[in-house]
Amino acid sequence: MSFPYKGYAGHYADIDLTKGKVHKREMEKEWARLYLGGSGVAAKILWESTGPDTDPLSPDNVLVLGTGPLTGVMFSPSGRMMFAAKGPLTGVWAESHAGGFFGPEVKYAGFDFIIFRGRAPTPVYLLLRDGEAELLDASDLWGRETNVVTDMMREEHKDPELKTAIIGPAGENGVLYSCITVDIYRAAGRAGLGTVMGSKNLKGIAATGSLGIEAYDLDKYLEANDKEMEKLNNPLWTDSLGSLRNYGTTDLVAVINEIGRLPTKNHWTGFYDDADDIGPETIAENYRIGQEACHGCSIGCKYIYRVKDGRFAYGPAGGPEYESLMAFGSNCLNNDIESIFHMGTRCDLLGMDTISCGKTIGFAMELWEKGIITEKDTDGLDLSWGNVDSMVELVERIAKREGFGDVLSKGVRKAAEIIGGDAWKYAVHVKGLEASGQDPRAHQSIGLTYATNVRGADHLRSLSSLEELGYPDIVERRFGKEKTKAILDIMSPKHKGEVVKDIEDLYALVDSAVICKYGTMWPPVFYFDTFESVIAPLTGMQEWSNLRFVKQAAERISHLRRAYNHRLGVTRKDENLPIRLKEEAMPTGPAKGGLPDIDEMLDEYYDFRGCDRETGFPKKSKLNELGLEYVAKDLAKRNMIAKE
Amino acid sequence: MKSILSIDVNTCTGCRNCEIACSVFHTKSFNPARSLMRILKDETRALIMPMVCLQCEDPLCKAACPTDAIVENKDGILYVERDECIGCMNCVTACIYGGIEIDPLNKKAAKCDLCWGDPACVKACDYRAIAVIEATAEGLRQRKQGIEVLAHLYDHESQEA
Repeated sequence: MSFPYKGYAGHYADIDLTKGKVHKREMEKEWARLYLGGSGVAAKILWESTGPDTDPLSPDNVLVLGTGPLTGVMFSPSGRMMFAAKGPLTGVWAESHAGGFFGPEVKYAGFDFIIFRGRAPTPVYLLLRDGEAELLDASDLWGRETNVVTDMMREEHKDPELKTAIIGPAGENGVLYSCITVDIYRAAGRAGLGTVMGSKNLKGIAATGSLGIEAYDLDKYLEANDKEMEKLNNPLWTDSLGSLRNYGTTDLVAVINEIGRLPTKNHWTGFYDDADDIGPETIAENYRIGQEACHGCSIGCKYIYRVKDGRFAYGPAGGPEYESLMAFGSNCLNNDIESIFHMGTRCDLLGMDTISCGKTIGFAMELWEKGIITEKDTDGLDLSWGNVDSMVELVERIAKREGFGDVLSKGVRKAAEIIGGDAWKYAVHVKGLEASGQDPRAHQSIGLTYATNVRGADHLRSLSSLEELGYPDIVERRFGKEKTKAILDIMSPKHKGEVVKDIEDLYALVDSAVICKYGTMWPPVFYFDTFESVIAPLTGMQEWSNLRFVKQAAERISHLRRAYNHRLGVTRKDENLPIRLKEEAMPTGPAKGGLPDIDEMLDEYYDFRGCDRETGFPKKSKLNELGLEYVAKDLAKRNMIAKE
Repeated sequence: MKSILSIDVNTCTGCRNCEIACSVFHTKSFNPARSLMRILKDETRALIMPMVCLQCEDPLCKAACPTDAIVENKDGILYVERDECIGCMNCVTACIYGGIEIDPLNKKAAKCDLCWGDPACVKACDYRAIAVIEATAEGLRQRKQGIEVLAHLYDHESQEA
């Protein structure tokens, strides 16, 4: 039977890079119906094709490129796509999402998913064009930086509108946190998916197409979409959207510092005295030259910067987001904003995750301060806090994996193992992924998010802005009046297990649809009812107009990703926080004295998730209820099922 | 009075929602490649250039059409009569502004018809960068101001239209 649903391109490509063979196949009906798209479908594919014996950098690993039904149709903000594989940095589930125009173009070129298996004998890239997928020689492109590669591909195909996802030299060289740079200055940044791409001798993917996407019931879909856009344009959110439009995510530097949650000095504290130097006003006044938006997005948080003169003169180019400002700025006690622009852009061009790169440099700076490493270890570089020259040089050496750069190219967990001694105490990560720009000592629930996030320590799988920014009406509507007060208390662990579980499920749909977190995370406008009203008229999957089915699908995706990690050996002991964030009380700033009650929150989270408190393993009854019998059977064989 | 589209590139973010809306109106699908409005981007120079039919007073496309397929509607706006178009591309060659294109699917010429009165792109632009204005001297000046910055960037001399 042919694929019955609209809203999708209707095909995927299964590519054997070793043999150089492309198999174009019709989309699987059950992938769409049960897992929607994006992260959900990627979880299903990776569950079936990778496992405990898969070496992430061997030809056995499988790289999935995914879009969702909302990618490239009229829904703001929906210009997104994702990559997933078994992660080389963490050894567990890895997914990373990117905006821009590439995701929609993949669908207009005729594909919802691309599955890459094996390893090409020589460098190749994939061209997607009007229903065709073709592997082409990339030997001329290998070794080059991402923007040059995009220019060369556009030149080669005489198409200045070609959209691309490219790895840089870092991904080729095996830096474990290499990113995939999308549309020049966006990135699927985290967890080393660029490294997986490099290990497959795959330099990039280019897409162009004129195959449209149809809706099942266009008028009804447009009506549902209008209603969602009305919610977004409610005067309630004018300030939030205004901030994103005028400052982008750079505004967070000021907002987050104010609540004492801005990682500073390798996460030692959450307050940075010089935050203004790297904050929104400085950037807007002196460097910001324009606003940009991803495909069809009415929020438009992206900005363009230019540094006019001096040693870091550059641009126009995509400006660094909050996380990059934090990683290369406050985290390294570096208030030289122009150097941060420089390092952010170098990471885009070399193809490295700015968060992991900046966090790894900050980690090395603390080891230097503590005397654990000296000039003998660093090839002569002085790693004093805020030493811009050394930081700039390290970014290049990491990408090339030269000398000490090679040690840092493995991320903080492995670098700490190599360096030895007390170094591990300063490695701020969960499951091997360097922590992003939050701090559970100033915001309890983010501790639970870090601990339970399937890809490691960051915010994007379940961050709750509800208590962070204070939305009483929404908290009451979602969780009931009696819980509202405790939930809104940012330093209370109470009900945070329930909140984080709820938001993790919500984001599972966001990541499968595939849409942006803006509009869902902040401002918190879209909720489960959004999917209930838009998916059915777009796709024709009538079950999706039933809220219960929608929530079950969300839980199914969450559980499948968790089960993927269990099978690799992840248990409650890995769903934890690094010693710094768990045991060292916040030393300075507005959140001084704060510490998270991680164990209490974890207990509650496991209860709501349908898992065992001791191990974190899921209950068989829960998995069966979600239609994950095949997962329950597999985990049972491995004794990874909760006792009931 | 005839209407024209005026686009302010200073407020345009290049999100291309106008292209999606245009394709929805004209093709009942989400397909920017079939949009009659084109937002060209050059990321490395941070340039955004909207391309759409200028609704010329003395239309080169119409003059070049061998089958008289380009005709006026009740509002005085030119549109392509699809059954008459033979896809010869004479109009595309004739238009020096890139205002008329060949549809990639049906291979016939297509140009902006202002959605027969209520342009979808205007409603779809959340940044309010697109407006329908009257083709008076004042309107033409407003349209020109909207793209002034591009003329500077490309170092082109601009003249009163």
